[in-house]
Amino acid sequence: MSYDIIIVGGGIQGVATAYELAKRKAGKILLLEKTFLSAGSTGSCAAGIRAQFGSEFNVSLMARSLQIFEHLAEELDVTNDFLELWQGGYLVLAYSQAEFDGLKERVKVQHRFGIATEVLSPEEVAYRFPRVNIEGIYGATYHKRDGHADPLHTTFAYGEAARRLGVEIRQWSPVTRILVEDDAIQGVELADGTKEYAPTVLLSAGAWSTALARTAGVDLPIWGEKHEILITEPWERVLDPMVISFSRGFYIQQRPHGSFIMGLPPVNPVKWYDPEEFDFGPNSDFLSRMSNEATHVLPFLAQVNVVRQWAGLYEMTPDHHHIIGPVDEVRGLWVAAGGSGHGFMFGPVMAEQLSKWMIGEPMDIDLTPLAFRRFKEGKLVVEPAVVG
Amino acid sequence: MRRITEHPILEFPERKVITFYFEGKPLTAYEGDTVASALISNGIQAFRESIELHRPRGMFCAIGNCSSCLMVVNGVPNVRTCVTPVEEGMTVERQLNRGVMP
Ligand SMILES: Cc1cc2nc3c(=O)[nH]c(=O)nc-3n(C[C@H](O)[C@H](O)[C@H](O)COP(=O)(O)OP(=O)(O)OC[C@H]3O[C@@H](n4cnc5c(N)ncnc54)[C@H](O)[C@@H]3O)c2cc1C
Repeated sequence: MSYDIIIVGGGIQGVATAYELAKRKAGKILLLEKTFLSAGSTGSCAAGIRAQFGSEFNVSLMARSLQIFEHLAEELDVTNDFLELWQGGYLVLAYSQAEFDGLKERVKVQHRFGIATEVLSPEEVAYRFPRVNIEGIYGATYHKRDGHADPLHTTFAYGEAARRLGVEIRQWSPVTRILVEDDAIQGVELADGTKEYAPTVLLSAGAWSTALARTAGVDLPIWGEKHEILITEPWERVLDPMVISFSRGFYIQQRPHGSFIMGLPPVNPVKWYDPEEFDFGPNSDFLSRMSNEATHVLPFLAQVNVVRQWAGLYEMTPDHHHIIGPVDEVRGLWVAAGGSGHGFMFGPVMAEQLSKWMIGEPMDIDLTPLAFRRFKEGKLVVEPAVVG
Repeated sequence: MRRITEHPILEFPERKVITFYFEGKPLTAYEGDTVASALISNGIQAFRESIELHRPRGMFCAIGNCSSCLMVVNGVPNVRTCVTPVEEGMTVERQLNRGVMP
């Protein structure tokens, strides 16, 4: 069979882009997913969405992404309950004066893009969020439109909407090879030996993208980094914001369901380029480190039982930004991967802008600085506000 | 009391009788009972309501795993009554929600 566009990978990035492309009548689209939609990093993520970034670029992108999330239920014909959209804000804690000063600098950028982040003294934190232990805190920033959306349900909703627009989504269909001839994309080969043809292939296979790109002779600097996370039993709402610290690495929030979801970065991160190396096994070390951090900053959590812990991959790049756009070396090959620990929240805006780029419409936010060629040209993109 | 008193293998030695309170009502139990076994021996099966549809829930896994028997014990919600020993004077309430943090 032949298509106009083949998308490889059914995480938030691939599925949302399929929808945005179909909405713009980009032609006949096939999405191939190795297992099931959101089975990769998307399904293992912490569901956090925030506009509290530091660079103009990221703040402008996330300002738009929040807007999309706020209207996504309507757009995709589901409900906010289904998307588990919860805007209880992100409370970013500073554990040194230098860190607090840095956060305040970022707030100036955020204000320029209409993100109404507030700067709070420790006393204000204690007053507004009495459950938060302010010991060791120099201050905090809080943006009330940040929060939570369920990554699985968001992906499923995009998927259903894409199907309604005629996108063919095939699950349990691993791609083994990207087919290239004379430096131009031909299509892809699947594990069962069948081939699907298209002049355009979008590679959105998260941390698996690197191995797939190699089959097209392209060496992407994306690696998987194992991050662990846990979830507790549900309680009635007691904590509105996501509570995070960039310096200590923790993030903790209560989901609309009532459970608490929380994570911490790995102590000695290892770079995995080859899916053969990926390891999703749980560690008791994470459980004890996480419990210590969590019960220190939110002491009431000592009464809350953990239900489950798991691990997923941050799909990292050297400058912690996506690689998005065409790959110059192979005509027709596009990449959208490498969300570096925040690929879920960027998914909607990246999909929207990328779809415009792919069909040759002008973008509202120029994504070209994120193209793969930035590594050849030595033009890395810098962002100060990353967790882990 | 609903209890097995004779068993082909197990023996049930005499135990101290204690008093605890279910929804304000005094009930008796034996020392060494779990809250759940004490309630069941008093004919009480519905321990909590399910969090979405508010249907009755009671003893299910009996090993502290499933969340079916969570109750408010001494004012603290989400207590696994199937693995929590009952104590003299303990107050036990049905849990009607996810648990309100004290
Ligand atoms: C613990 C943890 C917490 C996180 N917290 C957050 C957060 O709070 N907020 C946030 O924004 N981001 C968070 N992230 C990051 C976020 O999850 C990712 O950046 C994002 O989900 C990446 O989406 P994706 O679609 O690019 O990749 P993925 O979701 O990994 O999708 C790639 C898909 O490709 C499929 N695939 C792989 N190989 C093949 C093949 N050969 N053929 C076909 N399909 C294939 C996979 O099965 C997978 O479904 C977190 C990540 C982790 C691990």
